[in-house]
Amino acid sequence: MTTLVRTWHQPAPTRAGFTELRPPDLELWKSRLSLDRKRAACHQSGALADITRAIEARSKELGAAALILTGSTARNRRTRVSDLDYYVVGAKPDIGGLPSEIDLYGDEPNAFLAKLFKGDDFAHWALRYGCILFDTDVLRQASITVIEQDLWPDPERKLRQAKRAIGFSQKVAATGDYGAFLEASRGAFTLAARWWLLSHDVFPLARDELAQQLRETDQRGLATAVEGSIHRRPSVAALSTWLAQASRLTSS
Amino acid sequence: MSPKAKVEIAEEHLAKAREELDGDLRDAVQWVFASLEAAIDALAAEERILIDQQHWKRTDAAKELYEKGILPSDVSTLHKELNFLRKAIFYDGEELEQEGFSVEGAVAEVETVVGIVSERAS
Repeated sequence: MTTLVRTWHQPAPTRAGFTELRPPDLELWKSRLSLDRKRAACHQSGALADITRAIEARSKELGAAALILTGSTARNRRTRVSDLDYYVVGAKPDIGGLPSEIDLYGDEPNAFLAKLFKGDDFAHWALRYGCILFDTDVLRQASITVIEQDLWPDPERKLRQAKRAIGFSQKVAATGDYGAFLEASRGAFTLAARWWLLSHDVFPLARDELAQQLRETDQRGLATAVEGSIHRRPSVAALSTWLAQASRLTSS
Repeated sequence: MSPKAKVEIAEEHLAKAREELDGDLRDAVQWVFASLEAAIDALAAEERILIDQQHWKRTDAAKELYEKGILPSDVSTLHKELNFLRKAIFYDGEELEQEGFSVEGAVAEVETVVGIVSERAS
């Protein structure tokens, strides 16, 4: 007798990537949790893993339903400007006493599901590409819902956020605060990139992967802006030019 | 963009935050956070505390400045809350969700910090 071993693999970053996967049964989900554990272990240094262990213990102690390591760490694409991001579903633990670079987002299970229906790309991102550290079945059920109902993040929502961020960044340009201007511009380019990709049926990955995804969708201008604002210290003039281009792109 | 002293930047950002208290509270959060960051940078530079353009190092610096007696209160929690809130507004949200958080209160606290920075610079 041959036993068919079914293993989880990360969805392709496409419109059909998640829905091509079968709705996960318990066995397939166990495979995902195992894979995610290994990914989380590989992508964290000893110090980061210690923080993760502490957050996991505190979340479980409070009776949280699930915990996900998200963002660039989950994708193994940390940069100098990366935070350490987690998404807890259920009770949100206190992060007091832990290092300051942690961002812990939290939603109750119903609110998390509502965000998936509303097209919140961060919730979708966490479910698709996050490293799930534990799950009491709320995330498996959410995955089934997303697959069966073919849910996809709302590009229009991202577009509104991008336009607003571009406008704010242009205000910061006039203040003489280069650090704040660079950061606001980087955020605006990232939002514009996510809008562009979602509206072209591509799921945006980690921030440091966006430039490549943009080039693959024939958006080289925004790719240059995203990459330049992450890895270099562009001049004010360059940032302003890129913002003007992003403004035109998001207004067209 | 001409180089400006951090104290001047902190004051100007704070003025914009005050203006937005009667306008868009989401922008008030962005400006008051930027003001606090510039103020911490100014004090940290005097005390030779390394910031390295990292938000979390500014949170730690705020605590250290309080422990050294330079700031009358520990604004590290406020800095961390503002950082989280402004990112939530900028990247994720279209509305200001501020359960238990007062933007006016934050502006008042940052006014104290900026006042200290301005006084030391004058």
